Amino acid sequence: MFVKPVGTFARYVMGAALALWLIAATSAGASNAAPQLLAEPQSSGGPAMLRRLTEAQYRATIADVFGPDIPIPARFERALRAEGLIAMGTSEAGLSAFAMEQYNTAASSIAAVVLSAEQRQRFVPCAPVVAEAFNAHCARKFVQRYGARLYRRTLEAGEVGGLLDVARSAHARLNDFYAALEFTLVGMLVAPDFLLRIEQVQGQPAEAGHSRLDIFTRATRLSYFLTGSAPDEELLQAAADGSLDAHEELARQVDRLMSGPRYTGAVREFFTDMLRFDLFDDLAKDPLIYPAFNPTVAADAQEQTLRTITDHLLVNEGDYRELFTTRAAPLTRSLGIVYRQPVPMRNDWQEGEFSARSGRAGIQSHVSFLALHSHPGRSSPTLRGKAIREVFLCQHMPDPPVDVDFTGINDDTSTARPTARDRLRAHATETQCKGCHWLMDPAGLALEHYDGLGTFRTRENGAAIDVSGALDSREFVAAAGLGEALSEHPQATSCLVRRMYRFATGRAELPGEHAYIEYLNATFAAAGYRVPALMRAIALSDAFYRVVPNADKSIAVGHDEDATGDSS
Amino acid sequence: MISNVICAKSLFCALLCALLFTTVQARAEAEFLVDGSAGFVVSSIRYALAADAEENAGCPEGMTTGYADKSEVFIVHDGLQQRDGESEDEHLKRLFGVAFGAESVRNLCMNPELGREDPGFRVVTGENVPVFGIDMDGATSSVDGPAVQDACPHDDFAGMNGESGIDNQYYRVVGCSAQYQSTGLSNSFELEMLSGSWGMLITLDGVDDIANDDEVQVGIFASADPIQLSPNREPLPYATYALHQDPRFQARTTGRISGGVLTTDPVDVRIEWVVNSIRLDRPLDDARLHMILDDEGVMDGYLAGYTNVEDLYNYNYSFRNGTDGTGNLAPLRLRAGSAIGKAFVLGYTCEGAYQALYEFADADPDPATGRCRSISTQYQISALPAFVVNEATASSNAELDAAGFGRTGVYDARPASEAEGR
Repeated sequence: MFVKPVGTFARYVMGAALALWLIAATSAGASNAAPQLLAEPQSSGGPAMLRRLTEAQYRATIADVFGPDIPIPARFERALRAEGLIAMGTSEAGLSAFAMEQYNTAASSIAAVVLSAEQRQRFVPCAPVVAEAFNAHCARKFVQRYGARLYRRTLEAGEVGGLLDVARSAHARLNDFYAALEFTLVGMLVAPDFLLRIEQVQGQPAEAGHSRLDIFTRATRLSYFLTGSAPDEELLQAAADGSLDAHEELARQVDRLMSGPRYTGAVREFFTDMLRFDLFDDLAKDPLIYPAFNPTVAADAQEQTLRTITDHLLVNEGDYRELFTTRAAPLTRSLGIVYRQPVPMRNDWQEGEFSARSGRAGIQSHVSFLALHSHPGRSSPTLRGKAIREVFLCQHMPDPPVDVDFTGINDDTSTARPTARDRLRAHATETQCKGCHWLMDPAGLALEHYDGLGTFRTRENGAAIDVSGALDSREFVAAAGLGEALSEHPQATSCLVRRMYRFATGRAELPGEHAYIEYLNATFAAAGYRVPALMRAIALSDAFYRVVPNADKSIAVGHDEDATGDSS
Repeated sequence: MISNVICAKSLFCALLCALLFTTVQARAEAEFLVDGSAGFVVSSIRYALAADAEENAGCPEGMTTGYADKSEVFIVHDGLQQRDGESEDEHLKRLFGVAFGAESVRNLCMNPELGREDPGFRVVTGENVPVFGIDMDGATSSVDGPAVQDACPHDDFAGMNGESGIDNQYYRVVGCSAQYQSTGLSNSFELEMLSGSWGMLITLDGVDDIANDDEVQVGIFASADPIQLSPNREPLPYATYALHQDPRFQARTTGRISGGVLTTDPVDVRIEWVVNSIRLDRPLDDARLHMILDDEGVMDGYLAGYTNVEDLYNYNYSFRNGTDGTGNLAPLRLRAGSAIGKAFVLGYTCEGAYQALYEFADADPDPATGRCRSISTQYQISALPAFVVNEATASSNAELDAAGFGRTGVYDARPASEAEGR
């Protein structure tokens, strides 16, 4: 059973009212700081989660704890995407035998390097008199130090004792102190406490019927949200001494993390997830049709979009909605071939703008979007339109019927139907196809000036391409028109809010959190749709850490809405 | 009657207008031309030759043969001849073993002027052999009666389409070499270009109409960047290339486009060229382009000019002046080994090639001796649209070079003075 979200119309009325109140109540209309006079509404909170580290989080955590030079030679299991985000899938996927095998391989390699003769002085805070002797004091310091960083909390006495017993037993067999520590470290690196973010609830309820996550879990949730990595020593200390309980200290930590070097990485991780860049691992293009496509182009295309996003949102403190209209075009030589633009810079990124002739505007006109949502040998207005609705508007589009006839649509050399619009027009007349294509195709057709790789064109099979399009009730022309429509679509910003909260918590919002989500929408609007302001508001909110005891998340999640074509 | 004529004229005009409009529209949409400028990267280059000797009967005296005994490549070769029972491989190993062990063992590839006349080096003597190329001097020349005031009389060829006066004496020199036939190895030197060792760029500026323009500015440059290829190893259009910053590799001239054919005024051109990691120059004097330019920006045609015989012999046969990546003379054993190895593998004598080049040189007479010193040389080339930028670009190895990790010779550790003995 699924709980239906509040109706679209009602939510926008509520959101608009909140936004108006906010604007009236705050003198600063566009600021990265959360409006001061806004009262966070009561929220139900959600269940404590059990989340598996993503590959990016695993690698970032190891780099932070042991250093970026420690190799991690493992092939991670493919991530599960749920409700549009891998971050959601981390709380739903199990651990396969293959995954454990890879974790064990990585752990063995990491431990071998950390305890190697060349590196051990960096990591082991003391030394035995002779390597053959077991130094319990030294082993304890090692276990406590790295246990806290890896488990993201202070280890209890019994846990430390257990790990020391492991080390002692290993020493008895291996007769080498460092080999014993290595064995123990492997155990720590494959422990559920490291691989999974096991959220704990604070013992003392904050108020009747509601609890908070315990202080280390809060620190962990905060850190992975704002840095993509485990809490650093300063944050762990604030959790250990209880100072993180104070709102002022929480705000100080949030500001510290958001001004630190890892914050950009966290924003990149979010958008990598939202834009489904993991699908690039499977992206194939016909080399005869798109000879310019290669792994470098695939990697640079993703980086181009992420650079555009972080430059706009973080460096220039820009409005999220402008991502759909920006003509900023960081390019490499490899991308220049696809975009057909000169790139004088040889071995680095060249800042610039898309040529006016190409009509490109917004990240939806980037190769990362156009190529990812196309077929191997041709463009696809349908896939692009579907992605626009799902990725940017959080709308759910159903899969095609199993018995649909694709013969006409697949014949992209037809002289009778030279353009994709012609082929889709014929295809979409079939009753079983019409309903969904009516929603997907008009937006995607506006991007038909870009082929299946994303290169600009004006003709297909000799015929001029018509790039008029529509999104819900709004009509426009070409990529720039689509960008304008997206930037002004009310669901574009509310979708971002919802995705961000889900990214932060690993779950869909509960019905009892809808007022809180509207509060976030209003906060986002009042801040001029600055993403850092939204992230800060989430990180400082009570709701982010609030727990509903015994909540069953499996039956309480909200889902992306079915597209209706009605934006009102 | 009159109305019919008018009507017919109107119809004709309408059709003409429609055709013109379509053409103009196509021109206007020419993606490769931006503000009257266009860039190109040469994607294919090979000598302009002719049909194989078997087909055109250009070699009635037979095909070129190489050294009867490979030791003959050395000026002093007593005791170096192949011994009874000695295999080819064993003989080669012994030759190369001694060739570089003593300074006194000099070879004819590095010193072709010391060789005796080689009757085994065959040249094209067949009648009416059509060749690829263009008429460079505007005349149909003959050794029997010069059609122009020509100090270097020569027999021009006919073109593939019956044109007269094709100046392509280099074909006469190599046309009877097995490796210059269509299945041979000698005309595939573009492989080094496709592997990124060198490249060639063309620019057009001041273009008002890609089909007809009385005056355009033309640049022919060596590229500072490797050519960009698809996974199938096909050159890609619209890549960015920086032109070579050394002025010796930058040639600028004027030209014109007529009926979609670009022709340029003569200019000295120089591109880079690499053999076995030996870096060489490939100059072409009084070079001119004759290229068909299509609406997609693809060009096909000829780069034709004259090559100084010593230059041609150096870059194509002896590698005598080849350098390493740091600009120093490449190790002797690499240059000599490559020259001798090439002669052995491709089946000619170095002195025979040298003599033939001078014999058929058709330009640049020495004022003192009257000896002609340059030979007409033509290339068939294709070019794709590209972005050509004139910017100094740092190598990805620049930091390593600055830190003193530049490349050093790996073939010959001997001092250059010692290694210079030929």
